[in-house]
Amino acid sequence: MTKYIIKRFLIMIGTVLIIATLTFFLMHAIPGSPFNEERSSNEVVQANLEAHYHLNEPLFIQYLIYLKSIATLDFGPSIKHPTQTVNDLLGRGFPISFELGIVTILVAVFSGIILGVLAALKHNGIIDYLAMTIAVLGISIPNFVLATLLIQKLAVDWDIFPAATWSSPVHMVLPTLALATGPMAIIARLTRSSMLEVLTQDYIKTARAKGLMPYKIIIKHALKNALMPVVTILGTLLAGILTGTFVIEKIFAIPGMGRYFIESINQRDYPVIMGTTVFYSFFLVFMLFLVDIAYGLLDPRIKMHKKEGE
Amino acid sequence: MRKWLMLLLAVMVAIVLAACTTSGSSDSGEQNDGGEEASGGEKVLKLNNGSEPTSLDPPIGFDSYSWNVLNNLMEGMTRLDESHEPAAATAEKWDVSEDGTVYTFHIREDANWSNGDPVTAGDFEFAWKRLVDPEVASPAAFLGYFIEGAEAFNNGEGSEDDVMVEAVDEKTLEVTLTAPTGYFLHVTSNPAFFPINEEVQSENEEWFAEADSFVGNGPFQLAEWTHDSELVMEKNDEYWDADTVKLDKVEWAMVNDTNTEYQMYESGDLDTSDIPSEMSEELIDSENVVIEEQAGTHFYRFNVNEEPFTNEKIRKAFAMAVNQEEIVEYVTKNKEEPAYGFVSYGFADPSGEDFRDKNGDLVEYDPEQAKQLLEEGMEEEGYEELPKVTLTYNTSDVNKSIAETVQSMYKENLDVDITLENTEWNVFLQDQKDLKHQLSRSSFLADYADPINFLESFTTDSSMNRTGWSNEEYDKLIQQAKSEADEEQRFEYMYEAEKILFEEMPLFPIHFYNQVVLQKDEVENIVRHPVGYLELKWADKN
Repeated sequence: MTKYIIKRFLIMIGTVLIIATLTFFLMHAIPGSPFNEERSSNEVVQANLEAHYHLNEPLFIQYLIYLKSIATLDFGPSIKHPTQTVNDLLGRGFPISFELGIVTILVAVFSGIILGVLAALKHNGIIDYLAMTIAVLGISIPNFVLATLLIQKLAVDWDIFPAATWSSPVHMVLPTLALATGPMAIIARLTRSSMLEVLTQDYIKTARAKGLMPYKIIIKHALKNALMPVVTILGTLLAGILTGTFVIEKIFAIPGMGRYFIESINQRDYPVIMGTTVFYSFFLVFMLFLVDIAYGLLDPRIKMHKKEGE
Repeated sequence: MRKWLMLLLAVMVAIVLAACTTSGSSDSGEQNDGGEEASGGEKVLKLNNGSEPTSLDPPIGFDSYSWNVLNNLMEGMTRLDESHEPAAATAEKWDVSEDGTVYTFHIREDANWSNGDPVTAGDFEFAWKRLVDPEVASPAAFLGYFIEGAEAFNNGEGSEDDVMVEAVDEKTLEVTLTAPTGYFLHVTSNPAFFPINEEVQSENEEWFAEADSFVGNGPFQLAEWTHDSELVMEKNDEYWDADTVKLDKVEWAMVNDTNTEYQMYESGDLDTSDIPSEMSEELIDSENVVIEEQAGTHFYRFNVNEEPFTNEKIRKAFAMAVNQEEIVEYVTKNKEEPAYGFVSYGFADPSGEDFRDKNGDLVEYDPEQAKQLLEEGMEEEGYEELPKVTLTYNTSDVNKSIAETVQSMYKENLDVDITLENTEWNVFLQDQKDLKHQLSRSSFLADYADPINFLESFTTDSSMNRTGWSNEEYDKLIQQAKSEADEEQRFEYMYEAEKILFEEMPLFPIHFYNQVVLQKDEVENIVRHPVGYLELKWADKN
């Protein structure tokens, strides 16, 4: 197991490095520069700015400077927000995105699983149809549409929740709802279909025949196995949601890090692009790694298989 | 457990259903209890800055996100008054030498920093030299080029000591300009020319980065700054004119979505808001709309190196086939003034007449003449068929609708089919600079209040030219206007220059910009300058 973890860890580092390198060269291949402005921009002023951020150096030297910044985990100052370093931006934005993300995931996973299980148990009954209608709506209504509607109804018309910004737990309610609905729907559908499959298996019949309590059968025998597909998508979902979502953060004016992904690219803010990419890819790879380990814990067969493979 | 589940289900269903029924209806606006005061009698103005200020270091944050805030935290030698004219501010008075090139500012005795230090001439000397220091790399450095020696220092040829700004004594600053510059007093109101407390800077180079270390000299002081989410300003008691300031606090949100901003305005969390573009038709005539001019022009550039726009007549034909009035009325729907010249309204010549009125309409919508010019032009060039024309714009809904309208006007008036192309903003700018477009959407906003700022854009070596157009006589007129001491003569040069620009037509204008805001009834006297930044010194909230 330890050997497996070490190996996976090295692969992780390699993956991040490849992503980082690709991003660096792709980023410099896009036309434009952080100092392009619609207004008049004096050439001397332009040159001074480029020198200030080492953008006048050959690309290869810039790459080396950048590799050093990854190694030391210090990405330097943002070009568009010169009084702040990329680390400041990430350090400030990530906890907020993370907070919103965790709550969202919890809401989505719990309500999704519950909906899915209920639907499977009452297969083709009213609850099933109701749950799946909600799920289909959840998947098909984009979260930014839902967000705008939630604000209009719950904040502007009924005045129950604040419309936007981020200063108290009450402010979390609307963005959480908007963000959780999609993943909840996906999880509900996945849970339902795999529950349906599992419930027809022989070992469930055996358990029933042994006279086990129904909830025990469902939770211990059926659900545990039915959750495998859910765990699979959880890794990507976690990385995506925890590092912030551009649209929702923009709509609710949440100071998370989601917007840096988009804004930094629009502004060609090279250090921020690199910082966010490396951060995100590391996070994603790490989540996938956790999911792999979780597999092993949930299903011993997978661990055996991997061991054999080594 | 099941009960709980049902409850959850019920809530979810309720939300989804409620959400569905609202779509389409827009019966908002019944609330009028919105803007409650935070605590008894305190006057708190709630604004939205749209985004985190880039930097509150005066010469660095060269954009409205930074300078709308900074303009109220600090103050230059002059400050624009309610009628948009420069008035005495940190400087109590000034003398101008006879030839108009040497300005001597006298700083008022009671001008203090928010930490109690007196504002000195040395603070200004330090700040103005810092503006053009190449090491500081200020994007606004070129504004300092009015000062003798500044350009040389900035491009590395000269030294700091040669920049001709000097603190004669504690309260007197003398500055020598490269040429008589009638609008220099307007320039000194610009945030790039704000003083910097030298002592504070030497103790903490990043004094402008956080609220507790920020030291300003304006009507308000920075009280709290939660990066990326909120910024709070309080009345500054050290300000020399503190009695005039009526607001106790200004809270700035940083909401970067116009729909959300509007919803917060509706629910009382903001006192002003922009109008979401898709709602402009229904809101533009409502009572709470404030419309102010903005010195700037929305226009289209021709690339005069690309066929068919190498031909002057064809350029004119394309310019005259566009109906500006229709675009403003039916497309942008934002009450802009259609433009028939490049310099916008609001600049009076010595006789008091507005530049725009005096120089008149230099291009007019005339489909028949356009058609004829096109034919003549094609004949001159020997075209059987007009070379393909592509109109490029940066991706945005408004730009798209304008471009589509222009496209249909060309079809209707000239019987020419053009192709539309949109690109991402930064790519667009790069291509435009590299002269890769044929016909492209453009905009200009004035940095300082003089027609020359508009016109200098199209000299041969200007980085703003981006058309490939070059005219010796034009360049010469701009040069003359820049060094002319006699105002009347200076305006003559500029009138002449603008006429040449439209005789050769390397561009054609669409409309002049304006500032349109929704503002609550109880808010008064926020001043929005055509050239300049948001002014809250006189603002009040009842």
